[in-house]
Amino acid sequence: MQPFTYMRPTTAPDAVSAFASAGADARYIAGGTTLYDLMKLNIEQPRHLIDITAIAGLDKIETDGDRLRFEALAPMSAVATNDVIIRDYPVLAEALSKAASQQLRNMARVGGNLLQRTRCMYFRNGADGVYPCNKREPGSGCAALRGLDRGQAVFGTSDACTAVSPGDFPVALVAMDAQLEILGPAGSRTLPIGDLYRLPADTPHLEFTLAPGEMITAIVVPKTAAGRGSTYHKIRDRESYAFALASAAVALEMDGDQVSRAHIALGGVATKPWRAPEAELKLAGQRLTPEVALDAGRAAFSGASPGKYNGFKVELGARTVADALLIAAERSRS
Amino acid sequence: MSTAPFPDRARIDAFDKVRGATEYAADIQFPGLLHAMTVTARIAKGTMTELSTDAAMRVPGVVRVLTPDDFPPPPPTGGEDGPPPPPPTLEKRIAYRGQPVAVVVAETLEAAIAGAEAVRPNFADEQFSCRIDSAGAESESTEDWTAGDAAEAMAGAATAIEATYESPTQHHNPIELLATTAVWADGRLTIHECSQGVNVTKGSVAGALHLDPALIDVKSAYIGGGFGQKGLAQRQTALVAHAAMLTGRPVKLVLPRGQIFHVATYRPNSRHRIQLGADATGKMVAARYHAEHEQSRTGFFSPAEYHESPIRMYGIENYLGTAANIRIDRQAPGYMRAPHPQASCFAFESAVDELAYKLDRDPVAFRIENDTKVDPKTGHPLSSRLLNECLTEGARRFGWSRRSAAPGSMTASDGTQIGWGVAAGCYPSMMPPAIATLRIGANGSTRFATSGHEMGQGIRTAIAAVLLEGLDINADKLDIVIGDTTAAPQHMTAGSWGTAGAVPVAAKAVERMRAAVSELLAGRTVAGNLHRQLATVRRPYIEIEVSQVGAGQNDDALAQLREGGFVVAGPEYPEFTTMSYIAHFVEVHIELHTRRIRMPRVVSIADCGRVISPRTAASQVRGGVVWAFSAALREATEIDRRYGGYLNNDLADYVVAVNADIGEIEVGFVDQPDPLANSMGLKGLGEVAMVGASPAIANAIFHATGKRMRELPIRIEHLL
Repeated sequence: MQPFTYMRPTTAPDAVSAFASAGADARYIAGGTTLYDLMKLNIEQPRHLIDITAIAGLDKIETDGDRLRFEALAPMSAVATNDVIIRDYPVLAEALSKAASQQLRNMARVGGNLLQRTRCMYFRNGADGVYPCNKREPGSGCAALRGLDRGQAVFGTSDACTAVSPGDFPVALVAMDAQLEILGPAGSRTLPIGDLYRLPADTPHLEFTLAPGEMITAIVVPKTAAGRGSTYHKIRDRESYAFALASAAVALEMDGDQVSRAHIALGGVATKPWRAPEAELKLAGQRLTPEVALDAGRAAFSGASPGKYNGFKVELGARTVADALLIAAERSRS
Repeated sequence: MSTAPFPDRARIDAFDKVRGATEYAADIQFPGLLHAMTVTARIAKGTMTELSTDAAMRVPGVVRVLTPDDFPPPPPTGGEDGPPPPPPTLEKRIAYRGQPVAVVVAETLEAAIAGAEAVRPNFADEQFSCRIDSAGAESESTEDWTAGDAAEAMAGAATAIEATYESPTQHHNPIELLATTAVWADGRLTIHECSQGVNVTKGSVAGALHLDPALIDVKSAYIGGGFGQKGLAQRQTALVAHAAMLTGRPVKLVLPRGQIFHVATYRPNSRHRIQLGADATGKMVAARYHAEHEQSRTGFFSPAEYHESPIRMYGIENYLGTAANIRIDRQAPGYMRAPHPQASCFAFESAVDELAYKLDRDPVAFRIENDTKVDPKTGHPLSSRLLNECLTEGARRFGWSRRSAAPGSMTASDGTQIGWGVAAGCYPSMMPPAIATLRIGANGSTRFATSGHEMGQGIRTAIAAVLLEGLDINADKLDIVIGDTTAAPQHMTAGSWGTAGAVPVAAKAVERMRAAVSELLAGRTVAGNLHRQLATVRRPYIEIEVSQVGAGQNDDALAQLREGGFVVAGPEYPEFTTMSYIAHFVEVHIELHTRRIRMPRVVSIADCGRVISPRTAASQVRGGVVWAFSAALREATEIDRRYGGYLNNDLADYVVAVNADIGEIEVGFVDQPDPLANSMGLKGLGEVAMVGASPAIANAIFHATGKRMRELPIRIEHLL
């Protein structure tokens, strides 16, 4: 780990200007649950850390009006245990509560959680130069391509990278059409969450569309009747504290027994939070039977391209979507 | 021998542990302490051609960088009968990726880490083999384990099965990291280390650094989980000791977990091909079993011992066990809880289940009918064997009679598949010699010192149970000193022999102390507990020393113990064989679509002779079942054959069971003393607790789904 400077501004504009004067090797830090970990592994090597947790009033959780709004510094655990979220948007509460551990959720903030970096083992290992990784060291190659790829992505991969986007909450937010409020040196803007993430293509080290110095200040989720008929279904190697092998964020607007509109996004299987429009279209106007649900799941995975050991994710993912749809439909009736 | 059950007693160190007051090796503070960090090899095999320490020495706070040039050459080996050679210190020759090549010593931990990162050695690399099936892996046969004539008996078998089973590379991962602090002062070297064998540590450091062992003291009062990882000499110990001697200051090293994966021992990937035959009446008459495992180029962890438990599981009169090391370029594997039978009984008890199914026999009844009272390997009687009692009681508590035999025939209303499985296990019950001193003071204190190590299994609580049962002394001022070469001669505490080493000698000390007090009082009646009695007769303290040996051992064993030799008796004693037994009954639930495997309940009944400490004994069994679950369904160390080393070398990616995975575990004991094993009638428990629970899970999965899982770990993708 290399030495770095550390600043703790108390307003968002101060943080942005501190970043601008610090230069290219600066990073914002909030809960630190990803960044400190990667710094100890020598994968992140910032020269300047700008701690944003002293910024007052940037942790509000707003549930009134026609949208939900989570400010960036709200802890994951606070949003996960908010009564309104649990009752009306279980997809959001579950995506948060099934992530990490209670201790990590207490530290990690929802803004930073959107920027969590991949858990690809080849990325995390070998800052000492053993395993090539285009994300860690552009142009060095990808050890996962012909390696132990059980955990790798089946969507959005390239010849340069197959690393999975690890988050759960971003998948739920993509399903729910969330918007991000962003503050940067050029002022503030909003961004659909789906546009935050880049595909690896031939530049897998570029993961997000934020400009230097920009920070996420809030997450806005439009309220929808589909909220109550929703779930985040996460299948993993153990019952807690594990990343998804396959997950599905599903929310259904129902008209009686018929689906009028489905929101479906996939986690654990793609290089970014993955919306599944084929499956959504297939469901519109359908009566949701187990067979229809499985058909939709298979449609969601029709474009998958697995590697050597992760082929099971295609079938598992389809079944995960199907089970999620049935859970969501059950909730929409109650 | 009294045979009354011991009462339930809380762990005597529980309160300190939950308050964080217990001092583990890395917690002990010393003035002027230096911190060390190791630099490791980037290549999987070859030679270090250049090691510049300049950049590291420029890091503020770095005091010294130790390189291979700082160490003496390896000592001559002790020959066939001597102790295993100490692990290498620092060498230019690289045998595996992650091998330590330099040690940076600094004023702070941060400086030591920064210094270690600044050392960038150059290497000349060579072709290597890092997996059991890599090109360049060399197979080397070891001795056979035989009984009767397996080939002839197999040819005459009415029914037979043949299958191959596989267990993956797995790492111990105790929560406590490997930690050593060395202090060199006044011509003595004192080492504080999490060690299950302080005497092994002492001998290996003396050998590696060419020191007189009499100058070395090693202390390991508490260990945060050992599981065999901390039994043999550890790679870092002599490095830290040498750093302390060169700098003249105390030096501490806590190895990062990622490095521990690469230097500590591990459970090797192993393959087991088994043929099992029964006669027309359903009696098992023949077994042919070949086991092989991955091994380092020079390692000694024997694959022949995979047969130690299977050959004694049932009365199979004809057994041919063969085995081989597959030598590759990795660090040596070693003992990890239930070291051989975790893998071999997974294989063997799966095979027994397959044979019972083929014979259309209930797997519990089939096992009961294949009982034995004789050790097929030696022809000697088994001193006690209450496996059938374990099976019968386990079946009763589990409700086995309600089981529907056909695979896939038990289903919940939501489509979840339900499976009930059974498997059994056995493990050698061994016994080391021991020497103990017991001193009771008029000031209210009691000190008992003997051989043994507290890894969390509860050895202090078991010793206390015996002392407090037999002596009227203050429980809160009872000091049990173990894991300390200055307190008593020490053996390695492993293989489930800790209690057999410490408890009978404690009972003997109680007896001797009562006699000594009686002699002192000479018929007078003196009121109060022993401390008050001593005070009344104005005697500051009484101290007695006692010793014990295992069946068939004599004073030579005590002499060897004093010299640091390895002198454990059993399980083949001169006239009999002693094994511990267990039966596990498991229920699994498998989701209809996404195929997650859950284990809502387990019943485990053990025959470990007389139970000395009921609470810690039950805890040992629960821990064994939890790990067997984890070994069967979760754990595998990932090795990319192109690079060597271990990819998932942290607790996030090396997936162990979590609390949310574990259902109800009901534990029971037969609690009948073994008449021959030792004066207390106890047998080992910590290892056997785990044996057989993994195959019980696999057998339950077969019962739920009709799919026979012969390779661990069993994961979602295998049942989709």
